[in-house]
Formats: sequence, C-alpha cells, structure tokens
Amino acid sequence: MIPDILSFKNTKCECGHQNPVGTVLCEACGKPISKEDQESDKLLEMRYDGMARRSQRSTPNMIDRIWNFFSSVKIAVYMIVLTLLGSMFGTIFPQESTFLNIDAATYYPETYGTAGLIYYKLGLSHTYESWWFVLLLVMIGASLVICSLDRVLPLYKALSKRKIRKHMQFLTRQKVVYQTRLDEDEEVWINNIVPALKKRGYRVHTDGSALLAEKYRFSRWGPYILHIGLIIFLLAVLARGLPGLNMDQHLAFPEGEIKPIPNTSFYLKNEKFTVEYYTEDDLPEEFKGKGKMLPKLFQTQATLYECTADCKDPSKEPQLVEVDSHPIEVNDPLNYKGLKAYQFDFDTNPILRSVTPSLIEKKTGKDIGQFKLDIRNPERTYQVGEYTLNLVEKYMDFGMNDLGEPVSISPNPNAPSFLFLIKGPNLPAEGVQYFYFPKQIDKQRFQQDIINEKLAGAYNLFELDVDGMSNVDFSMSTTYLNIRVDKVMPFVWLGSAIGMLGLVMGFYWQHRRIWIRIDEGDLTLAAHTNKNWFGIRKEITVVLQKVNMEVDEKSLDNGGNQV
Amino acid sequence: MGKSRKKVQIVILLMIVILGGYAIISNVNGSGGKPEVGDKAPSFNLLGLDGSVHNLDEYKGKAMVINFWGTWCKPCVKEMPALQAQSEKWKDKDVVVIGINAGEDVMSVDNFVKQANISFPILLDPNKEAIQSYGISPLPTTLFVAADGRIKKIHLGELDLSTLDYEIEQLVSNQ
Repeated sequence: MIPDILSFKNTKCECGHQNPVGTVLCEACGKPISKEDQESDKLLEMRYDGMARRSQRSTPNMIDRIWNFFSSVKIAVYMIVLTLLGSMFGTIFPQESTFLNIDAATYYPETYGTAGLIYYKLGLSHTYESWWFVLLLVMIGASLVICSLDRVLPLYKALSKRKIRKHMQFLTRQKVVYQTRLDEDEEVWINNIVPALKKRGYRVHTDGSALLAEKYRFSRWGPYILHIGLIIFLLAVLARGLPGLNMDQHLAFPEGEIKPIPNTSFYLKNEKFTVEYYTEDDLPEEFKGKGKMLPKLFQTQATLYECTADCKDPSKEPQLVEVDSHPIEVNDPLNYKGLKAYQFDFDTNPILRSVTPSLIEKKTGKDIGQFKLDIRNPERTYQVGEYTLNLVEKYMDFGMNDLGEPVSISPNPNAPSFLFLIKGPNLPAEGVQYFYFPKQIDKQRFQQDIINEKLAGAYNLFELDVDGMSNVDFSMSTTYLNIRVDKVMPFVWLGSAIGMLGLVMGFYWQHRRIWIRIDEGDLTLAAHTNKNWFGIRKEITVVLQKVNMEVDEKSLDNGGNQV
Repeated sequence: MGKSRKKVQIVILLMIVILGGYAIISNVNGSGGKPEVGDKAPSFNLLGLDGSVHNLDEYKGKAMVINFWGTWCKPCVKEMPALQAQSEKWKDKDVVVIGINAGEDVMSVDNFVKQANISFPILLDPNKEAIQSYGISPLPTTLFVAADGRIKKIHLGELDLSTLDYEIEQLVSNQ
C-alpha cells in the first residue's frame, strides 16, 4: 500500500494530471516528471511520447516479470539474433527434409565425414523442426504481441488525450524550437497562422493563445500493423502442422493406372505421359556428339478422381467420380481446390501389364483359343476351348534360390513367369505342367522350352504364344508427381500484405507536430517529428513566411541528433 | 481496471503457452512422420488374406508383433517359421503376430502362405499405405507393440526363434 501511495505522489504533475508509474513526460502538459530531468536542460527523450509502458509497475509480481521480459525490445533483438544464428547453422549441410528417402544417421557421416556426424548428432540436420528453433520463433511471436500491446495502447492514449498548452520545458527542450517577441494581438496571430498550417495538411487545434498542429499521425501505427502482419504470418506457418493443412509427397503413377493419393480421398490416373527430347541440333555445343538425351518437354495427361463411397474399405472397390483433368507440365500443375500435382520426374522403362496369349497345339499349329493374362492380378483358372488352364504359381521376377527352387527375387515385374496346369483332351487326368514366360527375352534366358520338356515329357503338346504386339499391353512409362496441399498459403500472403502496408505507413510518412504558445507577447514554437527533421524545419519556415515572419531554417535547430 | 488488465495478461500468456507448446510438440514429433519407440503404433485398414478388413482396434488390449515382409525377400522367408512357432506359443497369452505383406498381389502371397503353413493373420498392403505410415525401409522389419498400443521395440532384419521369444517375453512381462 505505502509504495503505491508514494508512487502516486511521485507521478502527479503540477498541472494536476495523475500519471502512471514509469511516465517520463506528463501525459497532459509534457512537463518532465523526475526531478533530475526537470533540472536538466538537455533535449527531451520523446520515445513513445514519454509514456509509461503498460506493464511498468512499482511492485512487479511473477506474471508482471514474465510480461516485462517479453515486453523488452532488447530481449526481442537478442532472440532475433539467436534465430538468425540458428538459421545459419541449418544451411551448412542440406537438411534432412530435402531428401526423399535417406537414413540420416548414416547419410551425414558418410557424405560429410566427422563434420557430418557432429552436425547430425547436434540435431542440426533438422534445425527448422528442432524444439529450440520453434521455441525461439514462438518467443519472438510472444514478444511481438506483448511489445505491441504494451506500447500501442499508451501511445494511443498519449496522442488522443492531451493539453494543447504544453509546459514551457516541454517546448524549449524539443529539437526544433523558435522563440520570438510578438507585437500583434495574440489570438489574431494564432488565427492568421491556422489557414497556413491547414494548407500544408495539418490538423489544427487551438486553445486561446496556444496551438497544436499535427499531421500524418497514422504513420505511428505502421510498426504495430507490421507486427500484426508478422503474427498472422507466424500463426499461418505454425498451422501447417495441423492435419490436412499441409501435405507434400512424391508418388509414382504408371501410365493407365488409377492410383490412390494417400491420406486424401483422391485418386489420380496418368492417362498418357509424353516426353520430347531436344534434337542433336538444338543441343548446346558442349553436349553435342556425347549421346546426351535432354528432355525438352515432359507432360502427364492426368485425371483426378474423388472417392465418393467405399473409400476406407479395402475389401470393396472404391467408387470414383472424375473431378478434374489437366496436362501437367513443369511449372504447370494440376490444381483442384488447393490440391496440386506437380511434374517431378519420369521413367520411360515400359512395364508389362497384361498379355493375351493363344494356346497352340504344337504339332498342327492349331490355335485353340486366347485368354487375357493380367500380370499383376491373374485369374486362378482360364478356360480355353476344351482345355482348362489352372494357374499354380506365379513369379514376378523369376529366379532361383540357394536350393535351386524357383522364387521371385523382387516384387517388380521384371521377369514375370507363370506355372500352369493344363487339363483337357489327350492329356493325363492330373494334367501337365507348363511354364510360361511372357517376355521373349526371358523365354530364352530361362530356357522355357527345355523346362517344359522336362516338366511334361511326352505330353509337351501345347504352347502359349503371343501373336503380335496388339496382344501385349504395356504401361509405356511411369510419371512421378509431387502432390502438395498448402492451405495456409493465403494466410501467409495476407500476413505479408498487412506487414507491407505497415512498413509503407511507417516509412513514407512521418508524424509531425507543431506546438505554439504565446505568453504575454512571447511566442514559443516547438516541433517534433520521428524522422526527416530537415523537412519539418523547411515546412515551418514556409508557414511562418505566410504570417510575414522570416526565419532562417538553420536557426530552428536546437541541437541533438537530427536526421 | 488493474484487475481486468491482469486477466488480459494471464489470458494472453496462456494462449502463447498453449499455441507455442502445440507448435513445438507437433514440429518435434512430426519430423519425418516415422513412428519411433515409445510412440503409438499408427492405425491401418488392410484387407487380410481371409478376405476381411483388419485394423488395430480389433487387437486392442493385446500385445502385437507386427512383421513387414515380402515373398521375394530371403530373410523374411527364413524367419517365417520362427514367427509361426511363436504365434502358436503365445496365442493364449494375448499376443498376436500379424504379417503385413509389402505390396504384392494376392496370389503370390496366398501361394506362399499355404506353402509355408502360416496360420497367423496376413494382411495385404497393395498401395503400401502401412509401409508408408510405419516408415518401413528395409524388409523384414518387426515392431513389438505393447498392449497399450505403444511401440516397445523396432527390429530391423531377420529374427531367430530365441530373440523373438525373448522380445515377446519382454513385451508381456512389462505390462
């Protein structure tokens, strides 16, 4: 209680105004509050117009202390410097997030040696996702909010509630001061100068023989508007972590297949992929004659589907509705309601999708019939004429294991092979086995005919043969697309735009104020601006000329650091 | 006025703590999206060889051994008998062994499972959704998940019978 009363006493100005703790200049008349300041004749400290910051207390408690910590501009500068340093460390080696598929624990030491190991161990390989970096950003955000709140409210009050007749000390200790003797009537002189000031764009308030002229006050709000923009920007960046607001994945789409886009209800079909290469003539000199193939254009004709029912149930076929289609090229993505598919890479190795072989009687060459064999998802049995073909085994990438048994050595259809059991007329009741390699090259490599002779012996009467390329279905190429969703981007732009507006307000306009008081013929003029002192001095001389006062621009200078 | 100002201060500070805390946690946990030891096992929704859809919920309250494998991967094939033996041994003690096949077609998997006499549930992942959400790169990878749904251990590479037995015992005794 007692310190409170004492502080009340200390902050009461002689003009009768009660100022909050921490006030430097009286809110009403502008007289310095502290005794030392009153006795000094130095220029006044005009920062925040001498207002107390909102959180300044005589007896701060825990919350006030935290608040004051974030309210300090000095602390904010330290935090920004630390963030800059942290950001720099993050650029020494590429970040983990720039790679599609690496094991960071081995990649960094292998690529960059000991330095890489240290870099990884310190967690700098994911600097921008580390807890300390995010904490710094959060603290800067907190500082922005609290600094602004602490200053903008008192400043608003200071600029809206004030006396027009300021204390003599307030005027004579400004950076721009002019004093002279006046012979005319005080009020008449004041009324004469008002139109001159108004013409220069000033808003003028008078109080008898005192005057306050002011213009471009809005520029004082520039920094705070910038802060609002920055806070929106920061919040938008933080919101990226929320589910559904941000996605970035790279997917392969073989030509002709509808593939789901994980974590969305969308499916995408690569209808056709085209790639054009530069001709030898178009290549730059250094590439000519080196057999280089440089793509000129690669384009994916894509169709986007949305799943409407049975989406989450893998036992059912999803029901798809076409929603968009677009020829995707580099820098020209498919864009459907914020879901974007960018061209990223391609692979022109054809993938065998299905073959339609004929069952042929070897001796006579008679074609018994055809059936379509899907490489990835074949049927268990096929009926061809009077013959039944049971699919016993399939191997996507045929090979032998250590025991000499046939196995698939990879899940990719590099060397697909099928083991059928053929039953029908002229064949034993248990059927005969027949190995089928759809790719011609595999037939020779794995000696299909010899295998079949061994398997069937005397009953090796049939063969499967593809008649012409029309019976072979290839996926000619695979396109790689970068699927992105970034729903926070509009807010990032909004934040940036507001920030820019704030910067323009603060940079291109200056808040200029001119005070005049006349005491029994003694005229005192003082002026304050936040920058461009040259401009305000010039403006004052022009205005004074209008009331027939010739003043030298330089004589207005009251010393101090004037820019 | 002093009191309301204090309330505003507390509200703003609380909001900063909540937003900031959320930002830090989501960023630190979200790095790479790969579940690690101590994390909850990501959910999946996959078609089993039995023709019905399986997800994590049906194994609630049970310890799980989730094995990612492929028929073409030699160490996966080698460890299958051990997994089969352990699945039978621990069946009555609320431990389930689940095999998730990495993107192969039904026929390849079905043929293999019949040949190898595997009776524990085998799920198909044709679009590699679970592979992605579990961040699996080498095969086989086996995750040991406690009854509370948290990953206790991630084993990369082939498992033998005794290691498997030891790990399951650890999993069960820790509950």
